[in-house]
Amino acid sequence: MAEVFHLKTPLLESINMSKRVGTTVYLKMENAQPSGSFKIRGIGHLCQQLARHSKGVICSSGGNAGMAAAYAAQKMGVPATIIVPSSTPPLVVQRLHDQGATVRIAGKVWDDANTEALKLAETEGLTYVPPFDHPLLWEGHASMIAEVTASLGPSVKPGAVVVSVGGGGLLCGVIQGLKDVGWTDVPIVAMETVGAHCFNAAIKAGKLVTLDDITSEAKCLGAKTACKQAFDYSQSSELTIISELVTDQQALHAIQTFLDEERVLVEMACGAALAAVYSGVIVRLQNEGRLPALMGPLLMIVCGGSTINMEQLTNLKHKLQS
Amino acid sequence: MKTQQDLHVATPVRESLALTKLAGTSIYLKLDSSQPTGSFKIRGLGHLCKTAKRGYERFVCCSGGNAGMAAAYSARKLGVPATIIVPNVTPNITVEKMRDEGATVIIHGKVSIAYGQELVLAFVYKGKATHLWRSSKELEHDLKEKPGAIVLSVGGGGLLNGVVEGLRRANWADVPVVAMETMGAHSLHAAMEAGEHVTLPAITSVATTLGVAKVSAQTMKLSQEHPILSEVVTDQEAVKAVERFVDDEKILVEPACGAALAAVYSGIITRLRDERKLPQHLGPVVIVVCGGNNISLEQLDKCILTVC
Repeated sequence: MAEVFHLKTPLLESINMSKRVGTTVYLKMENAQPSGSFKIRGIGHLCQQLARHSKGVICSSGGNAGMAAAYAAQKMGVPATIIVPSSTPPLVVQRLHDQGATVRIAGKVWDDANTEALKLAETEGLTYVPPFDHPLLWEGHASMIAEVTASLGPSVKPGAVVVSVGGGGLLCGVIQGLKDVGWTDVPIVAMETVGAHCFNAAIKAGKLVTLDDITSEAKCLGAKTACKQAFDYSQSSELTIISELVTDQQALHAIQTFLDEERVLVEMACGAALAAVYSGVIVRLQNEGRLPALMGPLLMIVCGGSTINMEQLTNLKHKLQS
Repeated sequence: MKTQQDLHVATPVRESLALTKLAGTSIYLKLDSSQPTGSFKIRGLGHLCKTAKRGYERFVCCSGGNAGMAAAYSARKLGVPATIIVPNVTPNITVEKMRDEGATVIIHGKVSIAYGQELVLAFVYKGKATHLWRSSKELEHDLKEKPGAIVLSVGGGGLLNGVVEGLRRANWADVPVVAMETMGAHSLHAAMEAGEHVTLPAITSVATTLGVAKVSAQTMKLSQEHPILSEVVTDQEAVKAVERFVDDEKILVEPACGAALAAVYSGIITRLRDERKLPQHLGPVVIVVCGGNNISLEQLDKCILTVC
C-alpha cells in the first residue's frame, strides 16, 4: 500500500470556544500536519497517484499548497518547482527552498502564478499539482472526516462544520468526507474574508464569477474564482452550506485570540473560520434561524497555514488596526 | 457505564524544517502541546484518574499548573467532582480555566507548593510510567526508524521516567535521553553532579513548572542505569527558545518547554556531537514538546522583561 504523507491530527475540545457558542466546540488541528496545513492530505494523495514516476512536480501556490507539494515531492525523491505570486512573503519562499524546492515568482495573485505553472508543466513535461481543483485532492482531504468519526466515537455526530474557503478545495474535501461517512445532513458554515470572497460572490450571482482582484490580507484564500465543484455543491438541495463573510480585522482578531487561548499561531485564512466563533457568526446564524439548533458539537477545521510569524502578525496589526 | 476512551490523544510526530536546518541533523517534534489541556500531563493523570475512578467520590489535586489542569479535565470527562488546591501565586486565568472545567478551586498559601508538587509527583509518576510508554508506541509507529536521541525537559522527572520506560518497552533502551533543565530549577543536574539525591535550596528560575527542588527517586535511579545527558540552560535561553519556536513552528509553549527546545536553539545538540557524547551519525532526534497551558503573549512579554 502506498505510504501516506499526512498525519492523523488531534481533535481537541476548546472550552473557551464552547463557552462562546453555548455548545461543545471541537478543533481539528490541521496546523499539526507536516508542511503546516491540511493541504498535505490531498496533495500527498494526488502526488502518490500521479507523480510516482514523474520527471518532477510543479505547483502554483501562495504558500501552503506549495509547501505540501514540496514536502511530498521530497518524500518521493522527485524534484519540485513551485510558482508563487509576488504577494508571497519572503519567509515562505525561504521555507520552500528549505524543503528542497525550486521557487519562481510570477504575477501578482495566484491566478497569474497558476497560468505560468500550467505552461511550464506542458513545456517541461512536469506533473502539475493543482492547489485546490481536483477530485484526487478532495479525496485526500476527506480523510480528516473519517478521523473525526473515530475520535468522536460511534454515537456522536457534529451539529455543524466550519471551514475557510479559498478556492474551495477544503470545502469539497470536507463534503466528500461527510458523504463517505453518511453525514450529508450536517450543515457547513463556509467562511471567507471580504476581498477574497469568490465563493460568496458566486452564490449571490447564481453562477461562478471571477473577482477583479484580491484585496484581503488573507492571501491564502486568494483565488479569484471558486472551483466548479464547490459552486455545484452550494446549489445542491442535499447539502446545507451557509456562506458567511468576515472582515480582515475580524480574521486578525481571531488569530490573536486563538494564539492567546489555544497557543497556536495560524494564518489569516484560518482566522476566517475561527472568526465564526470569535465574532459571533454562529450565534447570529442561530438567532436568525439560518443555522438550526445544533444537535451535536460544532466541528471547527483549523486549517493551519505557514505564511505567518510574529513579525507578520505585527505588520498585520499595524496595517489593519490603524 | 460506558467504556472510556483514553483521556489523552495520540499526538503527531513531525519533522521540523527550521530546527533540522539549525541543528544540521534531523529533528522531529513530538507535539504533546496538542494534548487536551495543552501538555503531556494528561497522559499520566488521565490514566491515573481513570483507574482510580472506581469507588472514589472526588479527585483532589495540589497543583497550580499543568497537572491541576489535567486533573480537572479528567474529572470532568469521567463525571467525578474535583477539587484543585493551588498556591496563591497561581494566575487568575489558570484558576478560571480550572473552574471552567467544573472543578472547585481552593487557593492556599505559598507553602503548599513544594508539598503539593511532591504529592502530585508521587501520584503522577505512577500514572505516567504506565501510560507514557504509549507515547513511545506512537513514536515507533510515526517515526519508522529508531531515534538517535530523545530531548525532554526535566522538572520532577516524571516525563523522563515515563519516556525511559517507553524506550525500554520498545527495545530502544540504548537511545540516549538529553535531559534539559533551566538554571535555578536544575534538580537533576545538581544531583548527578553531586553523585547523590540532593535538594536545591530554592527555585529561582522563571520556568516555575520545572520548579521541583528534589528530582524523583526513580529519576535518580535511572540516571545511573540509562544513558542520560544532563544539560542546563539559562532562563534567557529558555525564553528565547519559546520566542523562536512560535515563529518557526507556530506553537506557543511555556519556558519549561523552552528548556527542551533550547537544546537546538542554543546549539547543545551540536556541541554534544562535537564532544562525541552523541554520535556524529545520529538517527532522528526527537524533542518532546511538552507544551504547557500557563502561557500567553502577554506572559511571554513579561518573561522577556524579567530575564533580560
